This record gives sequence, C-alpha cells and structure tokens, in this order.
Amino acid sequence: MRAPGSDKGVAAGDVLLAVDNVSLNFGGVKAITDVSFDIRKGEIRAIIGPNGAGKTSMLNVINGFYHPQQGRITYRGETRQKMRPYVAASQGISRTFQNVALFKGMSTLDNIMAGRTLKMRGSFFWQLFRHGPAMREEIEHRKVVEEIIDFLEIQAIRKTPVGKLPYGLQKRVELGRALAMEPDLLLLDEPMAGMNLEEKEDMSRFIIDVNNQYGTTIALIEHDIGVVMDLSDRIVVLEYGRKIADGTPDQVKSDQTVIDAYLGVPH
Amino acid sequence: MNLLYALFVDPWVQMGQAPDLLVQTLWEGLVSGVLYALIALGFVLIFKASGVFNFAQGIMVVFAALTLVGFYEMGVPAFLALALAVGVMFLLAVTVERVVLRPLVNQPDIILFMATFGITYVLIGLGELIFGGNPKRMITEQLYLPKGAVEFKILGGFVSLQKIDIAAAIIAAIMIAVLAFFFQKTRIGRALRAVADSHKAALSVGISLNQIWAIVWFTAGIVALVTGIMWGARSEVSFALQVIALKALPVLILGGFTSVPGAIVGGLIIGIGEKLGEFYWGPLVGGGIESWLAYFIALAFLLFRPQGLFGEKIIERI
Ligand SMILES: Nc1ncnc2c1ncn2[C@@H]1O[C@H](COP(=O)(O)OP(=O)(O)OP(=O)(O)O)[C@@H](O)[C@H]1O
Ligand SMILES: [Mg+2]
Repeated sequence: MRAPGSDKGVAAGDVLLAVDNVSLNFGGVKAITDVSFDIRKGEIRAIIGPNGAGKTSMLNVINGFYHPQQGRITYRGETRQKMRPYVAASQGISRTFQNVALFKGMSTLDNIMAGRTLKMRGSFFWQLFRHGPAMREEIEHRKVVEEIIDFLEIQAIRKTPVGKLPYGLQKRVELGRALAMEPDLLLLDEPMAGMNLEEKEDMSRFIIDVNNQYGTTIALIEHDIGVVMDLSDRIVVLEYGRKIADGTPDQVKSDQTVIDAYLGVPH
Repeated sequence: MNLLYALFVDPWVQMGQAPDLLVQTLWEGLVSGVLYALIALGFVLIFKASGVFNFAQGIMVVFAALTLVGFYEMGVPAFLALALAVGVMFLLAVTVERVVLRPLVNQPDIILFMATFGITYVLIGLGELIFGGNPKRMITEQLYLPKGAVEFKILGGFVSLQKIDIAAAIIAAIMIAVLAFFFQKTRIGRALRAVADSHKAALSVGISLNQIWAIVWFTAGIVALVTGIMWGARSEVSFALQVIALKALPVLILGGFTSVPGAIVGGLIIGIGEKLGEFYWGPLVGGGIESWLAYFIALAFLLFRPQGLFGEKIIERI
C-alpha cells in the first residue's frame, strides 16, 4: 500500500501527467516523434531506451525547458501546449539532471535550502534585518532541510561546498534539493549513473522510500535494467525518439520489439 | 647605472625620507582604489548573474549622477532627487531586463555584449536630451556630505585627508558589507548565487531568471549611483567621467570577473599601486603613466598568479 500523498484533486492511481502526441525537433534532428504516455499518481514510471533515444528531452519537455513543436501536456487535469520551468516548479514538478547541476559554490545546506525558494514568502524587508517573520520562516525551512539531510544520510557534508564532493554524493545532494521542493512529481535523470554498486543500492533505497513514505510520483530514467525492473511500476521504452513499448516490467521484458531494439543489444 | 638607481633605489629612499608623503600617497591611492572597486563590483554583479560583460557600467555611473544633479537643478529637493535617481535606476534595470536581456536570452555572449553598447549610447543620448550635455557640479553640501580637510601630524610631517574622501571610504565599506550580507544571508541573495552557478538548476527550483536579472541590474545601478556621487564630488559630473570604467578593466583582470572579494581587493591594489607609481616613478617616464600603469600592474600580477587574485586554479578536464 502506498501512502496517499498530499492531494490536490488527483487521487492515487489517477493520471497525474499525460503527454499526447508530443514531437520535438532541433533543426533537422528529431529528438521526439509523436510520443504519448501517462504517469499515474503514486507510481514509479521508468523511461528507458538507448543513448539518444530522447529520454532527457522528454523530461525537458515535461518541466518546460524544451517546448515541443507538436502535442499537448496535461498536468493535474490542465492541458498545455508547453510547460514553463517556473510553472512546473510552482506546481510541484521537481527534477535532477543527468550531468548533475548543482550550485557548486554553495554548501550542501544552501543547495537544498535553494529547493525551498518557492515555499519561502517572507518579505524582503524583514530578511535584510534577519528579524521577525523572515527569521521564523528561515528556521522553519531549515528544519525541513535538516530532515531531508537526515533522510539522505548526508549530515557529515552539510557545510561542504558541493563542488568539492565526490560525484556520488553530489547526486545525493541534488536529490535532496529536488525533495526540498516537496514535489508531487519527481523527475530523475539517471540518478545512478557513474555510481558503484553500494551507492546504487543506497540511491535505490532512497527512491523507494520517497515513493513509499511521501507518495511522491516518480519518473525515472535509468540505464541499469536490473534497477529499472526492480523499482518501477510501469516502463516506457523509447528508441530514436519514438515510443516502442509501454507496460509493466514483465510485459516490457517479454516484448519482442524491445528485446530486438534494446535489451538484446549489449552496450 | 644611473637609470637603474633611479628606478629601483631612489623611490624607496624617497619614501623613507618623507614618510608623511608616503602615507598621503597611500591614502589617496586607497580612496581611488575604493572607487575602482565599486565600479568593478558593478561589473562583477552583472557578469556573475547573467554572463553579460556590461560595457554600459561606466555610463551608468555618469547617468545616475547626472539624474541626481539634473533633478536637483530642476528644483527638486536634494534628498527627493536622490530617491528619484534610485527610482530611475530601478526603471532602467527593469527596462534592460525586459527589452534587452529577455529577448536575447540564449544568444551568444558576444551578442549580449554588443547589446550593452546599445545601452551605452541610449543612456548618453537620453542623459544629454533630458539634462543637457554641460558638466555639472555634484550637490555635495545639499546631501550633507562633508567638505574641507582634516590634517594629522604624523611621522614628522603632516597628512591631509579630504573629508569627502573619508566619507567615500566609509560609505563604500558600508555598502560592501550590506551587499555581502544580502548575498550570504537572504533568500534573494541565495537565489542570486544559485543563478550565478547554474541557470538550469536555478530554473528547476523555480527561481525566476528575469526577476534575478532585474534585481542584479538594479543593484549595479545603485552601486553606480553611489560611485557617481563620490567620483562626481571629486571632479564634476560629465560624460568624461565614463572613462573611469576603463579603470575597472585592470581591476577585473586582477580580481577575476566573477569574484566580489577580487573586485574589492583588486580595486585597492590598483588604486594604491597607481598612486605610488605616479608619484615615485612617474617623473622618470615623464608623466602619462596613469593611463597605462593600472594595466601594467594587472598584467605583471597575472604573470605570477594566472588564475587571478581569488580564482581557483582551472585545470581543464580532458
Ligand atoms: N539542446 C539540443 N540541441 C540539439 N539537439 C539536441 C538537444 N538536446 C537533445 N538533442 C538531440 O536529441 C536527441 C535525443 O537526445 P536526449 O538527450 O534526449 O537522449 P537521451 O535518451 O537522454 O540519451 P542518453 O541516454 O545519452 O542520455 C539526440 O540526438 C540529441 O543529440
Ligand atoms: Mg539523457
């Protein structure tokens, strides 16, 4: 059983996000061609496919970094031609990046605190004096951030500038920043790339815990098929920008197109 | 032999013989250094947040000062004129963000750099149109800035400090402290640093780049206004003042384009180095030294520390 999650009109199991007939190209390069799929509230939805299949582009479409030439995006019942990053963030979509995009000069704490940006509304005037409501607010948000730090077991690096951290820990801090937004939909772009086995296990555990404890819906891009089969409820398979399969891990595993196109090919 | 003596020995002998003169020179260097630092700071703020090298920074100093004095000459009380000048810098920031930065986002840096040339000439034209092209006197007394000098007896001689210079140093120090606090401790400051580090990560947490750019340009505008008042008080307010932007370049070479402490320390080094050079070595090369000495100091420094003052060693990953 999943925890019901902080609900905003979408019940567990309902469609939280749907992309319909989305096409995206860069000049002559067709990154995505007529792809449709949906993500249901509370599930872990994997997006897999070979290199250059358009997985990252799809996340960029969902959180508004890329604007598709065709298609629609429906999030929480509202249909749009394109998302905008600010709208996505303020409506509860948060993400991590394939190549880690952290605020390198800032500490772990400040990085995760930056994830609270949209939750903080204190007036600028009070902030300057570190007084009154702004101070109370800062303390309140620090508490949430400390909880996330405990959850991810990164207490030891709270004050370290993240640029100095090893790659695996940077990925963890980045997850922390995304969690600090208390997302309804969490987009993870290869959260385990470049990690050793132990780090991968930790990361898998965090992803499962986030999903279980907070009911957070997760879209997960991952190359490690074992991890994907273990974690996800449903899988979309992309190849050359097209969707070639969509279903439960078992369905996808036995799909002949997928086997031919992807699983069968060693890489 | 004589030349070597004059270059490498005589200046130090002179410093030793008249320490009061040395202190006087150091002080004057410090004061110009503070102003250089402020101009460089304006550059750094904008460069850090938007990656734009703002050619218009020098003109913004003039424009801000001109607006202040111009309003006063139109009969607006001094402090209201000051408030209006702040308002004008705010409008400028919002306009630049709306009309220049937003449409040009994702264009190559060189395009944005060229666009700041455009801003420069628009500001010159606007300034001349509204306030006229004649040099103006800064309204120093009306703003209750001190006048005259204080003299100290030290080291067997005396040193004379202009009160306006003392005020400039104090005001600059306060402003830098406030900015540092703003950057380190406030939510907007955190957002500013976030944008400086990664645009896409900042966007992903819901920071609005447009808002941050407007704030940064406004902050740079305020810094320009303060610089303009201080600099204008020492000479006059005219478009000739914009050449001080040229002084910021060596400061940036020295301190790095993205380092606030670099701008401050770099400004002081250039300011002090320049005055010492002018006073003790200037006669040797027959004047004109102040136009290039700053660059010379910056480049000489870079020979020993290629990463600049506070920059980290950049080791390219291959
Ligand atoms: N900003 C861009 N400009 C031009 N082409 C792009 C851009 N982003 C993606 N592409 C192209 O779109 C296609 C899909 O890229 P995408 O990064 O989405 O693939 P991916 O499935 O995430 O691959 P990987 O597994 O290597 O991360 C590629 O051909 C890529 O070169
Ligand atoms: Mg990718």
